[in-house]
Amino acid sequence: MNYIITTEQLTKKYKSFVAVNDVTLHIRKGSIYGFLGPNGAGKSTTMKMLLGLTAPTNGSFTIDGKQFPTDRIAILKEVGSFIESPSFYANLTGKENLDIIRRILGLPQSTVDDALELVGLSEFGNRLAKKYSLGMKQRLGLAGALLGRPPILILDEPTNGLDPSGIHEIRNLIKSLPDLYDCTVLISSHMLSEIELIADDIGILNHGRLLFEGSLDDLRQHALQSGFATDNLEDMFLSMVEKDNASRKQRAKL
Amino acid sequence: MRTFVIELRKEKRTGVIPLMIAIGVLGAAYAFVNFIVRKDTLLNLPLAPMDVLLTQLYGMIMVLNMFGIIVAACMIYNMEFKGSAVKKMYMLPISVPTMYLCKFLILTIMLLIAVCFQNMALAKIGVTDLPKGTFEAHTLISFAGYSFLTSMPVLSFMLFIASRFENMWVPLGIGVAGFLSGMALATSEIALFMVHPFVVMLKPAIAMSAQPDIAVVIVSMIETILFLCAGLWSAKKLRYE
Repeated sequence: MNYIITTEQLTKKYKSFVAVNDVTLHIRKGSIYGFLGPNGAGKSTTMKMLLGLTAPTNGSFTIDGKQFPTDRIAILKEVGSFIESPSFYANLTGKENLDIIRRILGLPQSTVDDALELVGLSEFGNRLAKKYSLGMKQRLGLAGALLGRPPILILDEPTNGLDPSGIHEIRNLIKSLPDLYDCTVLISSHMLSEIELIADDIGILNHGRLLFEGSLDDLRQHALQSGFATDNLEDMFLSMVEKDNASRKQRAKL
Repeated sequence: MRTFVIELRKEKRTGVIPLMIAIGVLGAAYAFVNFIVRKDTLLNLPLAPMDVLLTQLYGMIMVLNMFGIIVAACMIYNMEFKGSAVKKMYMLPISVPTMYLCKFLILTIMLLIAVCFQNMALAKIGVTDLPKGTFEAHTLISFAGYSFLTSMPVLSFMLFIASRFENMWVPLGIGVAGFLSGMALATSEIALFMVHPFVVMLKPAIAMSAQPDIAVVIVSMIETILFLCAGLWSAKKLRYE
């Protein structure tokens, strides 16, 4: 199998708190990988490690055959990212913000308009970013990640703060990206219903541990075996998390 | 060079560049007005005319420069923390220490421009208002260089502090505390107090001679390099979490 991102027993500890515990991921090239888990499961921390924002306590990972910190610049040239909340220069317009990123990436001027158009922000490009609504900031962050159409996209809950039509629009955009220009997307969410609509593969994380990894079909199969209806994976996801929480409590008692 | 241009573009609407130019113009205006109002008093002081021109006007100019540096350093990093823009920078193929170095260069160039404005005003006063034949251009240039060099530790220190705190009021408070404690310690004869960057900046202002003190120049250079290295190191080592 042609994996573009792999992690090997990736662990992140903050003093006694284990945010990510021995996570081993396999993300296929050209696929959309949905990273699922409740709030505080360790999705953002894992993504931050992949982007070099925080160092792993244990374990390793490779992105397109490259490793941090040796290949930091080479990795970041290939990865478009959007982590947690949108990051922007409040004193600059949307267009100027993207122009800063464009200059860093050494891309042609036209990529700014292209990215603005992709996220539906063209008509607000000349407005100061601080005057954007939450949804517009979210779109600007996404435009920053899509700038230059990078081969790998790491998106942490990109539809947060968007209205239903915005969610639908962005979801369709993300879904179309691998066909549009052959990229790989790692997208996190705490809603299986959302991930289900766009992802090819899924990783389920709870309290830092990977509970499931496989394709959507594998997950349906797993649901069937566990006695859940295949058309309601949400129930199975919740039961999986609850079961893990219960066993954690039991282990803690012992 | 590319990072420098990017950093300059980021400064748009932050007010850093207009602020430093304003500091230069204000310092120059202060020198003119002060010399017009107090010309006779100043020239009757028991000091050489060049010492009067350079040391008696420098106190207020130095305070302006100091507050300019403190505020500009806070502003240059506040725009990185406001909107979490710096987080995006850590996710892009750009060297964060180079980014820091470019901010340092921008502030240094802006301070140099401000110092040039102020010294051009002093040169004009020297040529027109000092007794004939007493104006020495080389003394003015050497004092300008001396005052610029002694200002650099505060610039280097404040940029380092501003890069470490997301809340702009913390470095601003440290800057004000540095100014007040520097004022209290500047007149002391104890050489150890020169580890305090604000004391070093105040040294030319409390001196009665326009001749640069080599010991102060050396300390200034060492402190500037030390704080710059600390800033570059922390920009490289401390990640955004």
